[in-house]
Amino acid sequence: MPIRVTAHETAADKTGFPGILKGLGTTIRHLLHNITHLKDLPTILYPEQRRNYSERFRGRHVLKVRDDGTLKCVACFMCQTACPANCIDIVAGEHPNIAYEKHPSQFNIDMLRCVFCGYCVDACPKDAIIMTRDYEMAMFSRGESSYSIEDLRQRLPLRQIDLGYRPYYGENPTKMDSLPYAGKDAGTKAAG
Amino acid sequence: MATREAILEKIQGRFADRVTAQDNKDLATILVTPENLVEVARYFRDEPELACDLLLDLCGVDYPGRSLRFETVTHLYSTKKNHRVRVKVRLPEENPHQPTLSQIWPAVDWFERECFDLMGIRFDGHRNLKRILCHDGFQGHALRKDYDAGQRWQCVPGNIQVPEQILGQGEIRDHFETQVLNLGPSHPATHGTLRIVVRLDGEIIVGSECEIGYLHRCFEKMSEAHFYNQVIPYTDRLNYCSPMLNGIGYARAVEEMIGADVPLRARRIRVILGELSRIMDHMVCIGTNLVDIGALTNFWYFFQPREEIYGVLEACCGSRLTNSYVRIGGLSADVPKNFVEEVRKLLVSIPKHIDDVDRLITQNKIFKSRTVGVGKATAEQAVAWGFTGPCLRASGVPFDVRKASPYDGYDQFDWDVPYATDGDTYSRYLVRMEEMRQSLKIIKQALGDLPPGPVITGDWRVALPPKERVYNEMEPLIWHFKLIYEGIKVPAGEHYSMSEGGNGELGFYIVSDGSGHPHRIKVRPPCFPLFQAFPALANGAMVSDAIAILGSLNIIAGELDR
Amino acid sequence: MTGEGEIMTTRLEGLVGWARGWAQGNSLWPLPFGTACCAIEFMSVVSSHYDLSRFGSEVVRFSPRQSDVMIVAGTVVDKMTPVLRQIYEQMPEPKWVISMGACASSGGFYRSYHVVQGIDEVVPVDVYVPGCPPTPEGLIQGILMLQDRVKKGLGKPRVEDRIRDRRAAFGRPLAGTGPAHLLPVYGQVSPSAGEPEAASAAPASTEK
Repeated sequence: MPIRVTAHETAADKTGFPGILKGLGTTIRHLLHNITHLKDLPTILYPEQRRNYSERFRGRHVLKVRDDGTLKCVACFMCQTACPANCIDIVAGEHPNIAYEKHPSQFNIDMLRCVFCGYCVDACPKDAIIMTRDYEMAMFSRGESSYSIEDLRQRLPLRQIDLGYRPYYGENPTKMDSLPYAGKDAGTKAAG
Repeated sequence: MATREAILEKIQGRFADRVTAQDNKDLATILVTPENLVEVARYFRDEPELACDLLLDLCGVDYPGRSLRFETVTHLYSTKKNHRVRVKVRLPEENPHQPTLSQIWPAVDWFERECFDLMGIRFDGHRNLKRILCHDGFQGHALRKDYDAGQRWQCVPGNIQVPEQILGQGEIRDHFETQVLNLGPSHPATHGTLRIVVRLDGEIIVGSECEIGYLHRCFEKMSEAHFYNQVIPYTDRLNYCSPMLNGIGYARAVEEMIGADVPLRARRIRVILGELSRIMDHMVCIGTNLVDIGALTNFWYFFQPREEIYGVLEACCGSRLTNSYVRIGGLSADVPKNFVEEVRKLLVSIPKHIDDVDRLITQNKIFKSRTVGVGKATAEQAVAWGFTGPCLRASGVPFDVRKASPYDGYDQFDWDVPYATDGDTYSRYLVRMEEMRQSLKIIKQALGDLPPGPVITGDWRVALPPKERVYNEMEPLIWHFKLIYEGIKVPAGEHYSMSEGGNGELGFYIVSDGSGHPHRIKVRPPCFPLFQAFPALANGAMVSDAIAILGSLNIIAGELDR
Repeated sequence: MTGEGEIMTTRLEGLVGWARGWAQGNSLWPLPFGTACCAIEFMSVVSSHYDLSRFGSEVVRFSPRQSDVMIVAGTVVDKMTPVLRQIYEQMPEPKWVISMGACASSGGFYRSYHVVQGIDEVVPVDVYVPGCPPTPEGLIQGILMLQDRVKKGLGKPRVEDRIRDRRAAFGRPLAGTGPAHLLPVYGQVSPSAGEPEAASAAPASTEK
């Protein structure tokens, strides 16, 4: 049912005084509240204070490593295909260890092209690329924008990294490979 | 409301074999030749049972293999009868031209210019058929299939017209010379990259012209080069003040084309986040409008709840502004565990900020004297200019897509459509304030009714399979690869889907050729006709009134220029 | 402007240079050349949550004649380039440019026929801030980096040095953050233990 909006102007409102008083009252109330509740001010004093972004924050990417230190990435090019910005550049290479077969000999992400959409994380079939909560990447020239494997690889144990957008949000991130698996019947299958 | 068959019957009864009815399932579609176009269009507008008084969109589509290569597609709507019609005209490759419809619907003016700019179709009788989105040094027509997407042309300062070229030199009226003034595109009060050139007689505007295209980011060409799911980050950047609404509108259009079954939980969450985005959009609109009028405090008051809503959005999907949370078939991930409590907290805190601004502004004499009676648009004028959304509702036509063609369960909630009758800037402000309160009402009801379950369809031809199965089993992995490498295969055909964006009817007209890439996506931007009518609204007003009117129309350049 | 690596010839010159750098760096008045979504995020930066005026950028005027640093926030298209160049030229020296966001820095994901692939085709840029849009803290970090350079009067550092420093930085845990709440708590500095959530969108979700 459409409702008609009007301003409900009373005779007193036409003079303008109630409007002034209500307005002043609102601003003074806010002022007094802010003065007396200095601890509750919403301002986040960056860089001394930082905002706690959520666990799904889409920040800088990290290439995960296996227990033996090799990259989990097998250079399948899923992330490169899924990226709407075409900012991922992979060169595949043969891995000396026959069990791993392929690995990326080059993996570059152009951070100035990246739109941080998270499609690369969605597309990865190996849980090899995730995003962290790091957003401090300002740079002085475009020469610095290409992040290679050396920049992207995981350097610290997962527990010490502020993880962001990733496929699993489990209690124990180091045990991600052995998360309980719901079984073949979980989820529906495609028709036909 | 006339059904599709009844409309087609009526039209064919009148015009017999001069029109051809098509068998589209979504809207009544007819095919006419350019010679009969004006007569058929006039019949659509004037016939009482059809009464298509609002022109929604006119676009061009390129079918390179066909003998009649181009096609213009016009979407019409009837505010009285609540039905939509599609009129198509096929044109040859050599000198494609058709008569203009601007005598029938003034709203079609800029749509035809855009069609000329991007497709090269000429419209005979158009008052000003020049490029509108691309700059004047641009060669070629960008949306044609043989135009390379990356081919740029350099824009030298000579390609931008100076104000005198747009409106002419200062002329003498009543012994005084009028002056031509340029506002924008880099201007504190034009919200985004809009350019207005006004002719001033003292301080009164006696004529103006708007120029757009300063943020033309080629959304439509980019979408042709990507898969359907990859277009979603692009849709976020259309109306960047309410990003979820664009994604929801686009995803609905594709889901309707493929017949995907979106789970109820996903639809409810889309409603909740969509209404929160609508509240955010109205807050930016009112806040910046008030900043231009001089009331800076409300800008700070309104940005506080925006940050709180950003917190909820960021916790759901990882990004504050450009969410990319929607996927074809549902949402990318389920909401966090404490989503319901946090949104309930928002439902308590947002009304306080709205009430604060209400107390400061609504009965404020200065504000009222600056906005009452400024930029008036009567209901007939608003419909003729193609208005939808809060601006149309402020002029007296209570048309809301959520009520007229309900989707995602909007008809199951108890809420009202606010409207006003004056059509001035003050009414638009009142309508937006009330709409925010109605949105809160909808969110409250949707929260109470959030069922458990999946948030994306289980059909792996549409949505990525769950990750744990992709890691461990073969068949989900294969479907995963197919979706990433080939995209969603939407069946060939065309479809127009509408949803209520922050500014009005946000329509997506998608043409598919059966592959994973869209053949053509046309966005019907709600603020395109709004800005087109600005010269008429600002005529006779003072420069400062023009700024107030511009702020109340809520022109988002990302959506306007795409 | 003092160059990089110059030897201080007199104490007075060094003192004046230091004072000038300190004054300029602490009062960079921004000119927001906002075009698109990054402009909305810039509005959040100047709003009460992140308050840019804490860093001296209180006066956000849209006039190039009265500003020091132009923050290009949003996509710049070919049609806008003469406007951008004109605004840049209207700014008095000394002036700096911050390119905010992916679109301004490199064209972002708009590899198209009307979008400038990086505003350094048109104006010289001092700091690039990646992100789409960058978080307000990311932009503030960019502004702080620029302030640092202005205060020291230095030019641009070498790319190799920057890459080396950032690889060292990525090996350190982020300061002041830790396991997060599911939803952020405003103004809170120290991390508090939050309950992590269960597995994501699988229809039969596994509870840990």
